[in-house]
Amino acid sequence: MPQSGAWGARRVVEKDVPLLDLENGGMHVKKVREKSVFITLCVAPAVILFVIFMLIPTFNVFKMSLYKWGGYSNNKEFVGLNNFKILMEDTNFFRSFQNTVLLIVCVTIVTIVLSLIFAAILSREKIKGQNIFRVIFYIPNILSVVVISAIFSAIYDPNSGLLNSIIGIFRGSDKTPILWLGDQKLVIYSLVIAMIWQAIGYYMVMYMASMASVPESLYESANLEGASKIRQFFSITLPLIWTNIRTTLTFFVISSINISFLIVKALTNGGPDGATEVFLSYMYKQAYTNSSYGYGMAIGVVVFLFSFGLSALINFVTKREPLEF
Amino acid sequence: MKSKKVISLFLVTTMAATLLAGCGGSKDTPTAPADNTAANKPADTAPADTPAKAPEADNADAAPVEEQTLRVAAFEGGYGADMWSEVVAAFEASHPGVTVELTIDKKLEDVISPAMKAGDYPDVVHLATGREAALTETLTKENALLPLTDVLEMTVPGESVKVKDKIIPGFLDTLATNPYGDGVTYYAPMFYSPCGLFYNAGLFKEKGWDVPTTWDEMWALGDTAKADGIALFTYPTTGYFDAFTYATLSSAGGSEFFDSCMTYEDGIWESENATKVFELIAKLGTYTEGTTVANANNDNFTKNQQLILDNKAIFCPNGTWLPGEMAEAPRADGFEWGFMAIPAVNAGGEGCSFCWFEQMWIPAAAQNQDMAKEFVAYMYSDEAAQIFAKSTAIQPITGVSDSLEGDNKMFYSIYDNGATAVMGGFASTAPVEGVNMLDTLCGTVNSIVSGDKTVAEWQAAVEEASDKLRAAME
Repeated sequence: MPQSGAWGARRVVEKDVPLLDLENGGMHVKKVREKSVFITLCVAPAVILFVIFMLIPTFNVFKMSLYKWGGYSNNKEFVGLNNFKILMEDTNFFRSFQNTVLLIVCVTIVTIVLSLIFAAILSREKIKGQNIFRVIFYIPNILSVVVISAIFSAIYDPNSGLLNSIIGIFRGSDKTPILWLGDQKLVIYSLVIAMIWQAIGYYMVMYMASMASVPESLYESANLEGASKIRQFFSITLPLIWTNIRTTLTFFVISSINISFLIVKALTNGGPDGATEVFLSYMYKQAYTNSSYGYGMAIGVVVFLFSFGLSALINFVTKREPLEF
Repeated sequence: MKSKKVISLFLVTTMAATLLAGCGGSKDTPTAPADNTAANKPADTAPADTPAKAPEADNADAAPVEEQTLRVAAFEGGYGADMWSEVVAAFEASHPGVTVELTIDKKLEDVISPAMKAGDYPDVVHLATGREAALTETLTKENALLPLTDVLEMTVPGESVKVKDKIIPGFLDTLATNPYGDGVTYYAPMFYSPCGLFYNAGLFKEKGWDVPTTWDEMWALGDTAKADGIALFTYPTTGYFDAFTYATLSSAGGSEFFDSCMTYEDGIWESENATKVFELIAKLGTYTEGTTVANANNDNFTKNQQLILDNKAIFCPNGTWLPGEMAEAPRADGFEWGFMAIPAVNAGGEGCSFCWFEQMWIPAAAQNQDMAKEFVAYMYSDEAAQIFAKSTAIQPITGVSDSLEGDNKMFYSIYDNGATAVMGGFASTAPVEGVNMLDTLCGTVNSIVSGDKTVAEWQAAVEEASDKLRAAME
């Protein structure tokens, strides 16, 4: 057991007392036991909560995925891996898989680039009204997803929407309107745009926080040596906030999966004809609307393993020797 | 030193104790209903003879008064919540000693299902099929409903008529009341609403058009209107195609054919009659307003309904709740609601209208089943029907729709004017993973209208889903 200062010091004092020589060994064992009881008691609440609210539900999801069950009655039928077998042949599931992967990739790449640029500009450059920009960029993050989807359904409105009105200036307003939420090839990108808009502010603030801790002296000397702003960004800023970027990559995976469900639910409900179905919306439809709770949990297991695996992979690929400053 | 240790030990104990208390609390909750069960037990056994006595209770008020609680959960639909409180009050007044705990919510599933998963069920539930959370369907698929056969045989409380004799003939012979198709009623038919095509009658007057009665006239009207920049058709969301498809299927092949479709008979969806329906909808797709698909989602479906009010589209399939839903919306001058049945698919046939209704059911796990049955029977009393009718919630009881006025009278008179009523829905099967018939049948309409799928692909997918579901039928 590692000894921290105070405890260790006391033990030394005890050993120096010669009077209780005989009982000293007993006292020592008692102390150690007391200490471990104390530590156990301290850690217990957190461990118990973790087990009840994290481990048991996760274990249950895995267990339920092996049953055919509607979710209410006691007629649970153990079907082994049958749910997964069906899943492997379910084209609708693969479509939701594709959509989710597309969302994760597009949203992550675009958001990371844009929020890095904005963060760099806002923290390195002197711009008038800097704070107002910060607030404006962060606002979408405070809004509820339902509000965001209401805003975007107004923007994407085929006749009176902002987007079609602006495009109409260039291509003539008499053309057939672009159906942002109706064209099956386009609609998923409409979601991508909404999700990027929602996410930028949050990641920008995260990057700005870590950029603020990069010492000013590095930029001063780079300036003296004549490095351009862009060179400074790639050679100083980016390497020094790398650990932060790595962390946010995991966030991107998790939040894309979660937020896409909320936005899909409010904006398109998986439509038109399943073109925007994502992992969790499909899982919901199967577990509830289709009364196949066990199958829904099997999808849950795949989502769990996928997001876990992808995060691990990203973590592994982006591993660099952390730079100290 | 010592005191410090004592204090810290004390703190830890408190922390652990509060935690355990917290856990204990949650563990206690499931036992609480168990206590209730015990408390309810005497009451539970008592009502066994109460229903038998209840009809007599009017004459003989000497019936022993037993305190008991009935838990009713009702979906708050477009008709509002007040009528439920009123009906419950009237029920309590006519059943001394009975206290009704009413749960009413627009998202009823979210309110009652957590307790249900823990085994704590309401006694009576009013919740229709076809909702997204599909609670009613799930319980049906899990065989967790109580058969209502004896409720139908009961005498309506306070009256001398049997329940089954008060209900309009036909309402109890459908898959929407007998979900397993075995003749046993599990859902009590509640508020019904004819579905059909809504239009602006004012527009027809203004343009001097005749309301089409056949599909040929329909297409002709579509071509005429196109010249005026008006589309023939729009739909709120593809969810509304269930009523539309059921009605056209029945019109194309008769009620037996319709039942065969609903019970997944082999090859039925590739039969000649079904093909007519698929092709009809595909043709209608070409007459559909251009932006309909983009707005056919939960957020924007009212924009599609607005097209009717703005004279941008002529017909929209919907139920009688539409005028209420669009009551506040702006509209073209001279707007007037028109409503018609869906024209006959075969030349010379009858028009048809799907009759949608909400259902009431008793969970098999309900504790106070006898009083629950009494409550369901009471729903068909004149007293209850009048309260519901005040909020324009019309039950399938003979004569109730006579009290209607204005637009509502016109809507409910659709069957008197020659349209065939179509009732039912897909038979309940054991859940089949990854197969959703309504999604395949109706959701695909968006792809047909936008040209992403062909009729042949659609038809094949529906047949495939039908094959899988047939295998799961018991």
